[in-house]
Formats: sequence, structure tokens, C-alpha cells
Amino acid sequence: MGVASLVSTTSGLEHVRIGRWLLLLCLTLLGTGCASRQVVVEGNFPTPLLDPLPITLGVIYPQAFAEHEFFDEAKGRTETDWLVKTGEAQVTFWDKVFTGMFDEVVHIRDWETVLAHGADIDGVIIPAISDLQYTIPTHTNVKIYEIWMRYEFRLVDISAIHQQDDGALTVNPDERLAAWPVTAYGKTPTAFLQTDEEAVNLAAVVALRDAGAHFITTFGATPDIAVWLDNIANGISQNDTIPTPESGDVPVPVPPKEADAPEVKENPTATAAQTDSVS
Amino acid sequence: MGGAMRLKILRPVGIILTALLFEGCVNATVDEMTYNEPVAGIGESSVVILGRRHAPDYDTEFDFIECIGDHIHSGDPSIDVINEIAFINQFYPWFEPRTAPLQPQTIDQLLELPIVANQFAEMKLEYMIWIDGKTVDTESVGSMSCGIGPGVAGCFGFGTWGTESEYEATIWDFTDKVEVGKVSAVTSGQSYMPAVIVPIPIIAPVQGTACDSLGDQLLEYLSAHH
Repeated sequence: MGVASLVSTTSGLEHVRIGRWLLLLCLTLLGTGCASRQVVVEGNFPTPLLDPLPITLGVIYPQAFAEHEFFDEAKGRTETDWLVKTGEAQVTFWDKVFTGMFDEVVHIRDWETVLAHGADIDGVIIPAISDLQYTIPTHTNVKIYEIWMRYEFRLVDISAIHQQDDGALTVNPDERLAAWPVTAYGKTPTAFLQTDEEAVNLAAVVALRDAGAHFITTFGATPDIAVWLDNIANGISQNDTIPTPESGDVPVPVPPKEADAPEVKENPTATAAQTDSVS
Repeated sequence: MGGAMRLKILRPVGIILTALLFEGCVNATVDEMTYNEPVAGIGESSVVILGRRHAPDYDTEFDFIECIGDHIHSGDPSIDVINEIAFINQFYPWFEPRTAPLQPQTIDQLLELPIVANQFAEMKLEYMIWIDGKTVDTESVGSMSCGIGPGVAGCFGFGTWGTESEYEATIWDFTDKVEVGKVSAVTSGQSYMPAVIVPIPIIAPVQGTACDSLGDQLLEYLSAHH
């Protein structure tokens, strides 16, 4: 009887153990359907092979740009959430592009930088990502991973940057010298032993390289940029030129990152209808 | 009894060996049309082989380009074949899918940039070879089921699929900025996967054959020893 009881107890424990394993397995299987995938874009980017323009360029990476990420929520049980973080790669990449294109690049993070280097800066460029889309083979049934991005670049004179009472920097969008879009596309085919994450990362790197190629090859051909370059070549101050506001263009907010990226808020002291502030 | 057992074991082994004999059945068609062959070889000049990647639905595979480069270099070690990725990075952004020259005449525009011209001069680039094409799996049929149990695992079934490769190499003379030849290779083959407990893949080396075919023709063109 005693032996039987022991066997019975052991058997009961086995059932509990098996039950636990089954429960864990079920939860894992259930979780697999809802698991989210995350890609922090990483890549080695080449320096452009260019003769740099004799220009000192100021660069402001807004917080939304420097910390850019794209989240796509799963639409069904068969799909997964996707989070693609491109911000760090964007800053690394565009730093390489700008330093390759221009003699000197000044990162404007605070008012002190504006005061210290303002007189030397020929123009300030502010990039923003207005759209990012991606497709993976489960979306399209085509064995290609794709990323498409649209940037909005703004070029302003250093005099268009102001300081607010709280120290934040403000950019008046109506004072810009130029604003232009740049689109980029990257794709990578499926490859043996390549994970979805690796493929999306590679597609993003290809898209970034494409964005740089597009930017470099069209920069001088953009009419407002051409005027700006001519003025610099002729020694005309940007303050003497007429800003080129475009009606209906909504300013891209440039919120601050605590240490690096500047913040953009509405500027209560500015007279223009719309302002961006950069701190 | 022992003989019957031996026969039972040997029969599937015989089937597998027979199947293995047919492994690598690939059809290949190669076309070549070249001019101004460098009879004495290319000397100390270098060659770069680049893949076309501007089509919307495919990219010429990086490993295929590497395969051709390796094939040429192993056939004639005196030929300096520049690594594709290193070249594209060195000349960024001028050989990206968006910006890569599509005609040899447009190279002159690139050479208007002094820094680019200097790099090319340092490299002593004589030939630029563009490869355009892809390898795709075509129709697949058959089914296979696998199972696993306590101490037992195995598969049973049969699957087969076709693979097709189609590549074209365009040779540009970098000095004269003219196209001096085209070589194309079309290969196809059928792969099989019988499974009796263990799946046995019998893969047709379709892309490898395309690489060898194109590589041989390009080697013949570039090398003085072939």
C-alpha cells in the first residue's frame, strides 16, 4: 500500500511536471505569433569620394531624426510587430556625407555653438524623415525586403536661428534658404540563412546609401541651393538674399534630445506664424 | 536469409548511388561576342567585375560576382581582379544602383571629377565588366513529411524543383570608353530530394555552372595564357 501510494505520488508529480512543460510550450507557441521584431540599423558607411565644397556647414539633427524609429503593429495573428530603429545609423551616415561634401561641418547643439561659430557658418542644414515604409516577403510574396524613405531637408541661414528664454534654439521656417525632398529606396533579396532582421537591416543600409547618393547628385541642381552656392561663390551674405518661403509647408518640429539633439518648440517671441525651436 | 537481408539493405543504397550518378545534370548555353581582345593579356592593369542592381525585382548576387572574380584570378593569377564591394565603397556614391553608369561613354562625366579620375589612374583600371542576371527556382513538385518520436525520427517523401540562371557580362574597355564584348550564360537544372528516413539532397549546381561558364569565357578574353 505504501509502495502504491509512493508510485501514485510520483506519477502525480510527473503529470504536474508534464503539464507545466505543456503549458510553457503552449505559451511559447502563442507568444511566437505575437512576438515583435526589432532592428537597430547598423552598417559601415563609406566616405563619399568628392572634392569638398569650400563651405562651412552647420548641421542640426532634430531629436525626432536622431532617435528616429519606425513601428508597425501586426495586423493579424500571422504577422508580427516590427520596430525599426534608424536614428543612430542616420546620424552616423549623414555625418559621413556632410563631412565628405563640405570643407567644415559644425554640429549646432546649443546657443554657445551659434555664438562661437556663427560668423563662419555659411548655412545650416536640418534633415527630417517624413515617411518610411517597408515590405518583407510575408507582405508581398516576393522574395525581396524593401525600405523606402522620404526626407525633408531644410537649409537656413545662421541668422534664422534664435534663442528662447529657456535656452532652446528656434528656427523660423519662413526664413529658410531652401527646402527640398530626397527619396531613397533600398532592397535586398532573401538569402540562405539570412534572418528577417538581417535582411531588413541590409535593406535599410542600402536605402541610406541611396539617400546619400541622391542627395549628393542633386544637391547643386536644386534651384534654391544653386542660388545659395552662387551667392557664397560671389561673396554675398545670406542676409542680403531673399528667403524663399513656400506656402502650406508645415514646419517639422525639432524636439530636443537631452544632451545631443536640439529641441524645437513654438517660439512665443517670434513674429512669424510658425516657428521651430531648437534647444 | 542473410543474403535476403543484404539485398534489402543494398537495394536502397543502389538507388541512392544511381541517383547520385545523375547529380549535377545542368544544361548550359554560352554565347560570346567580343572585340579587340588583348592578345598579350592586360599586363599590370586591373579589372573590376560589378553586378547590376537597378532592376526592381532582382539584384545580381554579390557572391556570384565574387565567384567569377575568383574563377578568373585562379585561372590566371597575374590578372588583378578588384573586389566589388571594396570598389563600390571606394567610389561611393558613383557606383550605387541609382548612379552607376549604364553606358561606357558616361564614364567621361565621372572623370571630370579630379578626385575620381585620380583614383582610377592609381588603380590602373583597364576593363570594367558588368554582370546582369539572376538565379531563380522554378516549378517544384512532390511532398515530404517528417516525424519525430521518442528515440525515432525520420522523413519520407520525394521533392523536386528546377533552377534557372541567366547572366550576361558586358565588357567595357575603360581606356577607350567603349563596349568590347558581351558574354552570356543560360543554365538550368533539376534538383531532387528523396527521403527514406534521411533526406538526400541531389542539388544541381546551376549557378556554379553559370559562374564557371562565364568565368571561362572572360578568362579566355583577358588572359594571354588561355
